[in-house]
Amino acid sequence: MTEPVARTKRRKPPTSKTVWARRLSQGAFLLLFLFLFLQTEQKGADELGYPAKLFLDFDPLLFLSTLLSAHKAAAALWLSLVLLAITAVLGRVFCGWVCPLGTLNNMVGAMRRWHLTDRPRGWFRLKYFLLIALLAGSLFSLQLTGIFDPLSLTVRSLSLGIYPAFNYAVNSALDAAYQPGFQGLTSAADVANKVLQDTVLAFRQPYFRQGALMSLLFLGILGLNLVEKRFWCRYLCPLGALLGLTSRFAFLKRSVSEGCNTCGLCDKDCQGAASPGTKDAWLASECFYCFNCDDPCPKGAVSFGFSAKKAPEALDLGRRNVIASALTGVAAVAVVRANPIFKPLTPQPDLIRPPGALPEREFLERCVKCGECMKVCTTGGLQPTLWEAGLEGIWSPVLVPRIGYCEYNCTLCGQVCPTGAIRRLSLPEKQKTRIGTAMIDKGRCLPYAHTTPCIVCEEVCPTPKKAVWFERLTVQNRAGDPVEVKQPHVDLDLCIGCGICEAKCPVMGRPAIYVFSVGESRSKDNQLLLDAAGPY
Amino acid sequence: MRRRDFMKISGSGAAGLLAAGAFSPFSPALAATLRPDLVVAHGPQPDRATRAAIEAMGGMKAFISKGDVVVIKPNIGWDRTPEQAADTNPVVVATLVALCLEAGAKTVKVFDRPCNDPRRCYIQSGIEPLAKAAGADVSHVDDRKFREVAIPKGEAIKSWPLYIDVLEADKIINVPIAKHHGLSRLTLSFKNWMGVMGGTRGRIHQNIHETLVDLSTVIRPTLVVLDAVRILTANGPQGGDLKDVKKLDTIIAGVDQVAVDSYGATLFGLKGSELGVVAAAHRRGIGPVDLDKLLIRKIEA
Repeated sequence: MTEPVARTKRRKPPTSKTVWARRLSQGAFLLLFLFLFLQTEQKGADELGYPAKLFLDFDPLLFLSTLLSAHKAAAALWLSLVLLAITAVLGRVFCGWVCPLGTLNNMVGAMRRWHLTDRPRGWFRLKYFLLIALLAGSLFSLQLTGIFDPLSLTVRSLSLGIYPAFNYAVNSALDAAYQPGFQGLTSAADVANKVLQDTVLAFRQPYFRQGALMSLLFLGILGLNLVEKRFWCRYLCPLGALLGLTSRFAFLKRSVSEGCNTCGLCDKDCQGAASPGTKDAWLASECFYCFNCDDPCPKGAVSFGFSAKKAPEALDLGRRNVIASALTGVAAVAVVRANPIFKPLTPQPDLIRPPGALPEREFLERCVKCGECMKVCTTGGLQPTLWEAGLEGIWSPVLVPRIGYCEYNCTLCGQVCPTGAIRRLSLPEKQKTRIGTAMIDKGRCLPYAHTTPCIVCEEVCPTPKKAVWFERLTVQNRAGDPVEVKQPHVDLDLCIGCGICEAKCPVMGRPAIYVFSVGESRSKDNQLLLDAAGPY
Repeated sequence: MRRRDFMKISGSGAAGLLAAGAFSPFSPALAATLRPDLVVAHGPQPDRATRAAIEAMGGMKAFISKGDVVVIKPNIGWDRTPEQAADTNPVVVATLVALCLEAGAKTVKVFDRPCNDPRRCYIQSGIEPLAKAAGADVSHVDDRKFREVAIPKGEAIKSWPLYIDVLEADKIINVPIAKHHGLSRLTLSFKNWMGVMGGTRGRIHQNIHETLVDLSTVIRPTLVVLDAVRILTANGPQGGDLKDVKKLDTIIAGVDQVAVDSYGATLFGLKGSELGVVAAAHRRGIGPVDLDKLLIRKIEA
């Protein structure tokens, strides 16, 4: 008699409590992450009320790389040692139970209903090589870790790409409902608008340069799950690699009893491609502790428990590969630095960094491009750079006043920076920190060039004694009639470069007053006056 | 007897007596029916001064009917605290909200289109928390809710996008703060309406006085309450230096923006006619400018 089960589809065994607990944990951490993400915004006071950067604080990769590159780590980043300690005992539980990007990958991977290949590609060493290259670069002051760090990457992608797109979609739907043709919908739209505004929508539609690129990269990473589930986590994630190395001697271990007949069922469900199906080849460093291999085992042979025994299989990267990766990282330092923006005494005029940003060199050693500062920026003026700060400064924050100025009473960017690249300033300190200097374009300014009154730059100037002042003049218009105008001047001692004058200048297109980085407090060289000390 | 004549006969002494609610040498009934052009209420507590000013204007019921949708438009233009006198005093706003609701208003809406970040302005000015507590519907300006409005009598602008809530309100109360301004010298009640203009309103500075008078031909407040609890005497309109702030503990109420602004000018040692907007309004035949001809009631609260 033939076995009927063999011909029908494999019946899924019931999901164990441990797996449910893991899913619950993943959901809870993802929600917490998204909640904190939504709280990363101006609410009317100079505090957020929530630890918006909490996930980044617990990121040991950011800790280690800033410690290497800047020889210093922000105080809160020491929290990440907790995660290292947990990993040392329990293995990569972070990847399986906590990481928001891991959970998103998990969710997309679960959508994969076809099998391009049942066999994992086994490229897991890649992520270790990437990690080694990044850390070797860090050791020589090059900070590129944040580009690949999963938490930094997720915050950045959501902040600059996905969330703005989400807002745009929802707002467009509401716009349509507000059209005069849909009279009946307006009141419903009012209610929906209010509810959404109070919950998930941004106060104002966020606009970011390279937003589409950020979205595409992120969706690309998620899409890789359709090629192979948790492709990113298995093969690319440098934090996963760091945790993999840490988990080498973890006490929580998987053991397989004698009953195992290496049927390979567990291999199909393994999240991390840790080769659970081959009895002695299980890789602790690749295991996410998802507990998927426990359920399907027809023999009930799989169990997890604490043990001080040596893991069956140790990670072997190959000495030559390790050395080559490290050298690549070191070489990258020289490759990115041979750039004219690093030529001494040639500061970049448009590279207006947020207030509290460290001197450029130190700033780049710390900035991990997480995008927190851009997400929280009250006016949305902080934008990601592309090439303006060199390849190593890619996606670091630059103020573009025409998009949004620096709000005078706001210090939020320094509060959410996880690495201290932007120092946390007290408000009085911030109000005296120059990020640049405004200059007037007399060829465009209405009172100068067109005998037309205008005072907007003076009106909006926020310093208690205004940095923009007038010269009252009577000029002649074309008809020869006298016209009294007030021509603005910038007081170089008082201007802090906040850029509100540029943002609000009514000369559309290229404004008649604009801010350059010259005069910025953080630089000794990027100064205009002999005595640059001034009243501040 | 016309009220101007009455004013001339009674003189300021009588006004003082009226204010104190004491015996009037003229018919008490007549005095009660006369609504002054302006009430100037002085007192250390902004809420009491505001209530007294409205009371002297005939009470809020004289302006607000049962079921009215009321818009109260304060100046919430800047990210400053009440002590810095760049935004309307929040207690004054909240008191007006309460008075409107007591008079039977259905809804009292409070909003402004600020220059600084709206969230910060609403909170730091104290207006959002206090007005909400008083029962107002405090909302941020929604860019979708501007409608292009024709200004037939406009000289500088012929049309402009204005906020729908103002256009659709049953009653409008203008509650500016008295401040210094670099271009218009002062910003009082006329200029407060910039806060309901959409679009690139910065352009109006090219012809600010005429533009503001243009606006006043399409936005007609029922009541004007000028907050002079604290005034900003220099570095306006946003200030920031407490040395520029003067505490006057005064509330000025009226129904005519020209009258209110003319009086407001005197707080800064100016004459109304020295303000471009008042001069423009006068030239265009909108409202009185000669304070001597107004019935002004000064009261202590």
